Amino acid sequence: MRRLLRLAAVIAAFAPAVQAEEFTWAVNTDPQTMDPHAVNSAPVLGFLNNVYEGLVRRGKDMTVEPALATSWEPIGNGEGWRFTLRQGVTFHDGAEFTAQDVLFSYQRASDEVSDTRSWFAPVSDVVVVDDYTVDFMTTAPNPIFPGSIANWMIMDSGWAEANNAALPDKENGNYATLNTNGTGAFRVTAREPGLRTVLEPFDSWWDEAEHNITRAELTPIQNPATALAALLSGDVDFINPVPIQDVARLKENSDVDVIQGIEARVIMLGFPHEAETLKYSSETTDANPFADVRVRQAVAHAINVPAILQTIMRGNAEEVSQLVSAAMQGYVPALAERPAHDPDRARALLTEAGYPDGFSFGFKCTNNRYLNDEAVCQAITGMLAQVGITATLDAMPVQNYWPELRADNYDMFLLGWSPGTFDAEHPIRFLAATPNEELRVGSWNFGGYSNARVDELLPMIQSEIDPVARQAMIDETTKILQDEMAYVPMYVQPLVWGVRSNIELTQRPDDFFILRWVTVN
Amino acid sequence: MLAYIIRRVGQSALVLLIVGLVAFSMFRFVGDPIDNMLGQERTAEDIDRLRAQLGLDQPFVVQYYKFLEGAVQGNFGVSYRQGRPVAEILLERAPATLELAMVSGVLAILFGIALGVFTAIRRDGVLANVIMSGSLIGVSLPTFLIGILLIYLFSVELGWLPSFGRGETVDLGGWSTGFLTESGLKALILPSITLGLYQMTLIMRLVRSEMLEVLRQDYIRFARARGLRDRAVNFRHALKNTMVPVITVIGLQLGAIIAFAIITETVFQWPGVGLLFINAIQFVDIPVMAAYLMLISVMFVGINLLVDILYFFIDPRLRADRSGGH
Repeated sequence: MRRLLRLAAVIAAFAPAVQAEEFTWAVNTDPQTMDPHAVNSAPVLGFLNNVYEGLVRRGKDMTVEPALATSWEPIGNGEGWRFTLRQGVTFHDGAEFTAQDVLFSYQRASDEVSDTRSWFAPVSDVVVVDDYTVDFMTTAPNPIFPGSIANWMIMDSGWAEANNAALPDKENGNYATLNTNGTGAFRVTAREPGLRTVLEPFDSWWDEAEHNITRAELTPIQNPATALAALLSGDVDFINPVPIQDVARLKENSDVDVIQGIEARVIMLGFPHEAETLKYSSETTDANPFADVRVRQAVAHAINVPAILQTIMRGNAEEVSQLVSAAMQGYVPALAERPAHDPDRARALLTEAGYPDGFSFGFKCTNNRYLNDEAVCQAITGMLAQVGITATLDAMPVQNYWPELRADNYDMFLLGWSPGTFDAEHPIRFLAATPNEELRVGSWNFGGYSNARVDELLPMIQSEIDPVARQAMIDETTKILQDEMAYVPMYVQPLVWGVRSNIELTQRPDDFFILRWVTVN
Repeated sequence: MLAYIIRRVGQSALVLLIVGLVAFSMFRFVGDPIDNMLGQERTAEDIDRLRAQLGLDQPFVVQYYKFLEGAVQGNFGVSYRQGRPVAEILLERAPATLELAMVSGVLAILFGIALGVFTAIRRDGVLANVIMSGSLIGVSLPTFLIGILLIYLFSVELGWLPSFGRGETVDLGGWSTGFLTESGLKALILPSITLGLYQMTLIMRLVRSEMLEVLRQDYIRFARARGLRDRAVNFRHALKNTMVPVITVIGLQLGAIIAFAIITETVFQWPGVGLLFINAIQFVDIPVMAAYLMLISVMFVGINLLVDILYFFIDPRLRADRSGGH
């Protein structure tokens, strides 16, 4: 017996204390660069969130929490924000993190050639107070500033300058396009664009590691069927996204779990508010019916959103009545009700507007941008035909779509919007404000919707410190946009992740995959 | 003869130039790369700046001229998506495609000829008929479907082979090869079957019909009358004489294997130039698309040129026609 015990003790001594946990995951889009300031897109920022860190970061429920800054407070009466930096943080190459790196990263990220420049539009100056204190001065009080820079990642000034990467170079690439040096929980140990990216935990990370990964590999797999097969065969542990039509089948498989959530992206219809006439109508060539709010309301009442969600989205999406989903800051619960599906009401509204026999028009739509976008547009076309307005659907790849919208070649269009700041102010700024190049507002307001009160409210929302007063202004704006039916918001796109059942992870509504929340069992 | 070759080379160069011109005139219809390169929060000013910087505001003929100017110096520009020189990316991706094409080509030729001979000799046999009807699958099913079926059978259901990718590769002086590792070889099996299946059926059916033709010839009958063994008759006499048209077709199909690898590479996430091209189309990565199209057309034009020159040697009538001058 004693011998047996001794044997067991010997075996226990030889068994490794921590098992090597390798994790492989597949996404449909490879991050196109490793430079956190070169491209402002979800695949890039989502991936780099594992490698680089900002002053603040978002937690599992999207709340803003301390990262490289331990605390922050407004300066004076909203002249800016003071950030107190974390001490003893090192970059992956061993360099120490100080206020100089914050200043450098601000200059780098706010440069004309950087894609992240717009985040710093409210900033007038950045002042280094001491090695661990930095002041961000803003042109006007800015209550949401700390949250709005959660994806602004800090780069080491010495490393960037030594490698000639002091500014991002999107066109020709530079050292930072392929190499990284962040402070995050993982460092990139191999990068082969379009093929694989290997991550290993950073031993000197300042925060306590929740994960148990020893090596992680990201592989892009474009073909959805291949990605699904890779997950089912166990070649990868996690895929994003899972094709909606396969969700039911995956749920029956005990080796695989489906994790569903509501994404931040709202799918809506847009209209040519400014146009004099329709562009693609066979008979209504001298007027623009969509300029009449009753016609836009008729469209809203004609569309049966629950039916679309049930059939095309297979019950995986949620209706929405506003430009942001209920998970976002500034959502207005009191205005949650969508216009009911009511074809009779739609016909009555059309008659009232002077189109008792309806009219024909051109409907532009994407076919590779949003989940099942073309199928949704076909359904909408059918529903509109039932109330007498005939849409000619023109669905095209997104690469061709934006130039068409910019050239005003549409009578109605489909649009998805995901607010980068997770705040209701974001879509108001980009979609509802009257387009103004100088003020940098309305840059995605293709239809040129314009309302003087909305334009007046926007800067007030942006600079209101008192949350109650701010919410009241957002309520008012939301009400105006609903009453005028500036857009017809329809539903929030679902997030569907597929994961092997031995993996535990956390899904965040921004579709960012955070490796440090992964546990391999 | 020299004049003939010079003329053919000149024609080939002209074809290449025209292919490039057509390609560049089409790029506008693929879409606008600007929106992919700039994020959600871009302004109209950013769009104009980047467009001017990339030279996309100029007419396509000017863009084409600039591309040619760089291309003759070996500079194919920088990928919009990856921010790296296109030549570098293509060189990095080429081994994957070439190895896959090579393995599929060899498989197609070996099995194609063997099955072709078998079905010709046993033309009324049950197995031969099963193979012939089975080969219809290879001709009629689209490549991506065959690929997906193979993945589901061998990766998902049986778990024998990897479902995607190239496995571990070994770098031999800039050439990454999958031939030297177990996972690399395993990863080659399904994609090469998928890619080679069509060519295999084609070769098989060609060999079979040529073989049936030859077996009816008098000299085969005489060979049998001489009491030669079946094996000698079938392989030494019959097969040898069926190979002339077969070799011509194989030569022409070689280019097709590389060019058609696009679909197979997409299904298996095979990191070759075909997958690169598909990604480039999605992103409107004009420099990559242009370089790939030029590369493929150089290959096809080159093979055709070679075949033309070979004909010149093989067929004396061609020589007489061209040099006659009457």
